[in-house]
Amino acid sequence: MKCNEVREQLPDYWTGKLDESERGELQAHFETCVHCRGEAEKLGSIWKKLGGIPEERPSRAARPRFEATLDAYVQGLRQAERGPGTGERLNKWLEGWWPRQPAYQFGFAVVFLAFGALVGHVFTSASQGSGELVRLREEVRNTRQLVTLSLLQQQSASERLKGVDWSSRISQPDPKVLSALLHTVDYDPNVNVRLAALDALHQSASNNMVREGLVDSLERQTSPLVQIAVIDLLVEIRQKEAADTLHEMAREPEINPEVRERAQWALGVLK
Amino acid sequence: MHDEALFVVESQTDQAVMLTVRNGDVERISVLFHRHHRMLFNFFLRLTGNRSLSEDLVQEVFLRMLKYRQTFQPGSNFTAWMYQVARNAHIDHVRKWKLEVAPDEEPAWDDVAATAPDQHESLEHNQEIGLLRRALARLPVEKREVLVLSRFQNLKYEEIAQIMNCEIGTIKVRVFRAIRELSEIFYELSGERAS
Repeated sequence: MKCNEVREQLPDYWTGKLDESERGELQAHFETCVHCRGEAEKLGSIWKKLGGIPEERPSRAARPRFEATLDAYVQGLRQAERGPGTGERLNKWLEGWWPRQPAYQFGFAVVFLAFGALVGHVFTSASQGSGELVRLREEVRNTRQLVTLSLLQQQSASERLKGVDWSSRISQPDPKVLSALLHTVDYDPNVNVRLAALDALHQSASNNMVREGLVDSLERQTSPLVQIAVIDLLVEIRQKEAADTLHEMAREPEINPEVRERAQWALGVLK
Repeated sequence: MHDEALFVVESQTDQAVMLTVRNGDVERISVLFHRHHRMLFNFFLRLTGNRSLSEDLVQEVFLRMLKYRQTFQPGSNFTAWMYQVARNAHIDHVRKWKLEVAPDEEPAWDDVAATAPDQHESLEHNQEIGLLRRALARLPVEKREVLVLSRFQNLKYEEIAQIMNCEIGTIKVRVFRAIRELSEIFYELSGERAS
């Protein structure tokens, strides 16, 4: 027996699959070939050690996962036997209409885009002047005013701040809202809410009621922060009628020095 | 009645069950899944060292068996056919993800070792198993494949030759070369550990 032949037989030798005569031949070879005997022992021990690697268990999810795949596969087969459904037939029909050439596809896209633009134009121009849209806008405006007025009467300062914020969403606030805002500037216990209301009134500064209300308000303010903000706003809207009040403030010794200084500055600007 | 029917199915040979699948009763493949998925899982686990990948590959094998059921010929060996499908699934995976395991890119066996039921055995034995797994992982994939098929899957040389599409003598030589290379890697790793 040659060494090559012995090597081929080794795995069977280790697993005991050789018959008695083959086994005898192999052992006879080992008597004369030290190399093969050493290799058989060394590799045999590795072969044996490999048997020590334990068999693992797949996860429990493997079976249900396969059952689900199988169900889906069977359903697919049955559907294929039944033929295409309505949706699929519709898709195929539509597909037949769609051109295969990119140039034609581009042409189609341009035509559809132009059609869409035309339809959009017709609809918007038709509805813009319609009474229904005007009515709807008026309703939205009224709702916003209601929300503003209701929020301005809340106990919580943050709710009142929200009310002031809502007022800025009304394009042309009606006198009720403006007087509520002026009332907030005059009497709200929270300085931040008063300042926010002042900001909100800025957009209606052309309204006479607001202009006069701000002059009156300046007399009532006690907080230096709000006093300065009112003075700034009056200067910004060029309300010259505030001059008398500003004079008084500039002379009043009990008033905050910074406010006094601001009043003097405002008088200089409004001259 | 139902139990009786189940018994008939369960007592059928793999080949007979596969022929019913081939003839259109595709749901019967769950019988073959029940019989072979654990063995296939261990086949892939020893090839890849990755549990979740091995589970994915098992699912892939049974799905391919459904898709290509017409290629199963009456009179052919079911086990050899199944391992052919399994081997192709693994080859495709390696090609797709370029996961040809190079010496420095061993499969991660950590998750497997953690779940191995060898807690009561000695620390030395566990270390030896760990070294063997690492050595197996360093073996070139074609040698690992032939070694796993011959050592762990209880397959005859004839079947392995059929799976790998070559002569029995070639398989015997390949098995010898694979075990010799594994031995070299194992003792090299043992030396590293000892030093």
